Order: sequence, then structure tokens, then C-alpha cells
Amino acid sequence: MHISEGVLSGPVLLSGMALAAAGTGIGIKKLDFDHLAEAGILSAAFFVASLIHVPIGPSSVHLLLNGIIGLLLGWAAFPSIMVALFLQAIFFQFGGLTTLGVNTVVMALPGVVCYYLFAPLLWKKKPVAVGAAFACGFLAVLGSALLLGGALYFSEKNFLEVATLAVMAHLPVMIIEGIITAFCLEFLKKVNPEILPARAGRPPVTGN
Amino acid sequence: MRTGKEKKSGRRFGRRPLVLLTVLLALAAATPARAHKVMVFAWISGNQVHTESKFSGGRRVKAGKIEVFDQDGKLLLTGTTDDQGKYNFPLPAAKELKIVLTAGMGHRGEWRVSREEIKAARAEASTGRAAKPADGGGEIAPAADSRPAAAPAMSADQPAAVVTLSRRELRQLLDQALDRKLEPVIRMLTEAREHRPSLTDILGGIGYIIGLVGLAAYLRQRQKKE
Repeated sequence: MHISEGVLSGPVLLSGMALAAAGTGIGIKKLDFDHLAEAGILSAAFFVASLIHVPIGPSSVHLLLNGIIGLLLGWAAFPSIMVALFLQAIFFQFGGLTTLGVNTVVMALPGVVCYYLFAPLLWKKKPVAVGAAFACGFLAVLGSALLLGGALYFSEKNFLEVATLAVMAHLPVMIIEGIITAFCLEFLKKVNPEILPARAGRPPVTGN
Repeated sequence: MRTGKEKKSGRRFGRRPLVLLTVLLALAAATPARAHKVMVFAWISGNQVHTESKFSGGRRVKAGKIEVFDQDGKLLLTGTTDDQGKYNFPLPAAKELKIVLTAGMGHRGEWRVSREEIKAARAEASTGRAAKPADGGGEIAPAADSRPAAAPAMSADQPAAVVTLSRRELRQLLDQALDRKLEPVIRMLTEAREHRPSLTDILGGIGYIIGLVGLAAYLRQRQKKE
């Protein structure tokens, strides 16, 4: 899922950086003192999750956790994921520094979208909530795969092919992430409900 | 926005599950430490360039696209890796080679074959080619003008069972044998160059994140005070 250096063209890299900077700006602004530690822990989780590979398909894919990160952090997913990606680029040579912006958008944006889509459903009846959590994990990875295809479209000019490949390759990850997200949220709900956003009738946690 | 007090009360045991999750992930990640990147290695043997492509962690890149550029960035040839992640091509007439692997979905690896390496390989190949007419082991090829004049005379003195070799043939045979024997060693060396994420890297990264959180908390704290 990490785009390497030298794959994308200049304009794509620049617009990726601009979008990532904007997202990170909003994220930092919305990240209040009480959620700092949470953001850090999730950032660390993202940082290590990329090392867990699912060797299926023509490529090797790994866990992203961007769904649950987005769901728990909202816009603060942007700075969390960007920091983790930066460290991954330095320590593991995943992706690269020039592609940091694009990679951040590819992975964080679907998380934020999922936050808006699924956070309101978390405190509905159990089947709905579990379904929403699964869909959150599933769709966040799907969104990332599509964004990846979109980013590569400008360099490879075959969006459908790249996107199909990316989606097919990440299908197992989507399912796994859906299950992980569903389990995590059920667990958090029991153990530590305050960490979850938008408990019925309350404004979103990261609201300013 | 919820008030701080409310949050604190609900959060006394708050981050434990998350910490647990992270620790579990870190442990799970530490065992099959695999990197998410692709690498391509290339070495020359004879007048063939051999390339091998893999995701670090050892999975071969199947059907990856290999592009070969010369020193000016001109595309010389393209090819596709086989099931073993290999792709071989004849050494092109270029001073330097840049081999670029594109493994789909934004994965890209690069390998440079240096000027010296190509020069050495070419010198070797040219002597090898000169000795070619006498390629049938120790058999004497009378018409082979490439053979040194001394060779037939020498072999005439030897008993028939003793195989005689010209200097060039000997070198060629040695080269072939060395290529064959050294290939795994070269591969091991190239693999050793591969940087796998170690536990140190993982813990280092987590340490940085904790540090950043601390820094952010400190800055926010100061903001709050002012």
C-alpha cells in the first residue's frame, strides 16, 4: 500500500503533500490535549501493523488499521498516520519521503470518511454496531486501495487495472480488518466506552 | 466537547486496551519481520545479466516489470520476471545500467550495475568468446586460429588420455565453474544488503512516537498555562 519513491509524477506528489498538510493541520487543530496519548498509541499501532503481512495475491499486503484509527480519532488520524508513515519510511524504507504526502492521504482519508459514516452508528443496536464496525474496517481499506489506484492512474494511465489489482490484492486484508475492527470496538465498548466517539446524544469526541 | 473532568473519570483504565493492542501487534510483527518493499538485484555472468526480484521477506516477484536504462536514462529493454522472480537478458552495449523493477501497486525497486562491473564482464566475455571455437573441452581444434600456436605442439607430446587445455580454455572453464559456485554466494551477499526491520527499528519508531506525544503534551500544557 506504500507507494515507493520515483513512481509518481511531480504534480501528484505535490498535490498529495498539499492535501496531507491540510488534513494534518485540521487534525492537529482538532486534537485536544486529552486525546494526545490516544493518537500516539494508535500511531504506534499503525506503525507496527504494516509489518504484519498477508501473503495473498500477486503482491504482499499488510494490515492498515486505518479504519479503526479514523473511527477513534477522526481528523486526528491524519497527523497520527503521517508520523507513523514518516517513521516507516525512515526505519523500514517503506514508501518514501517524497511520497509521504500521497501515502498519508491514501491511508488517512478513508479513515476520516469512515469516521463520518460510521461513528453515528456505533451506539445503535448490537447487530447494526457490529456491522458498522466491520464495514468501517472493510471500507477504509477499500477506499485506500481505490485512492492508491487513483494516485497511480496519473503515472500508469490505467486506473481500472491498477485499482482492480489493488482491490483484489487487499480483499483478504479488508475482511481481516473488518473483523479486527468489529472485535476491537466491541471490546472497547465493554472496557472503555469513553474512548469511542459520538456516544448517543453527545457531540463527536474530536469536535472543537 | 466533553469536559475534561468527565473524560478523566471515564479514562482511568482508559488506554490499557489500546496499549495491549499495540503491544500484541508489536509482538506479532516482530516474529515474521517483513518489509513492505521490493528489491531487484542484478549480476553479470558471461554476457548475460541476471536479475532477481523479491519482496523483502523473500517472496519472489512474479510477473514484475523490469526496465533497463543506460547511463543517459534511455530505455534499453523491458521484460517480465518469471515465477522465480528472475529475468535474464544479454548484456547491452551501455556503460552503465539502471535496472528498475515495477511490481504493481506503487512498488518499485532499483539496482545499478556499475561501469567497472560492466567493463570487467565485457573483458571477460571477449576472452571467453575468443576461446569459443575450442569449446569442446580438451579436444583439439586444428582450424581454430584463436588457439595459441604452442597448444597443439604441447598436446602432441602428451599421452592421449591427458586432456590439455590452452590458457584461454582453462580460464573459460574456471570462469564457468566460479560463476556456478559463486552464484549462491553473490546472492547471499545481495540478500545481506537487504535491510529487514529489526526489533530495534520497531522499538525505535515507537519510541519516537512516544517522544512526539510527550513533546505535544508539553507544548499544549504550556499553552494551557498561558
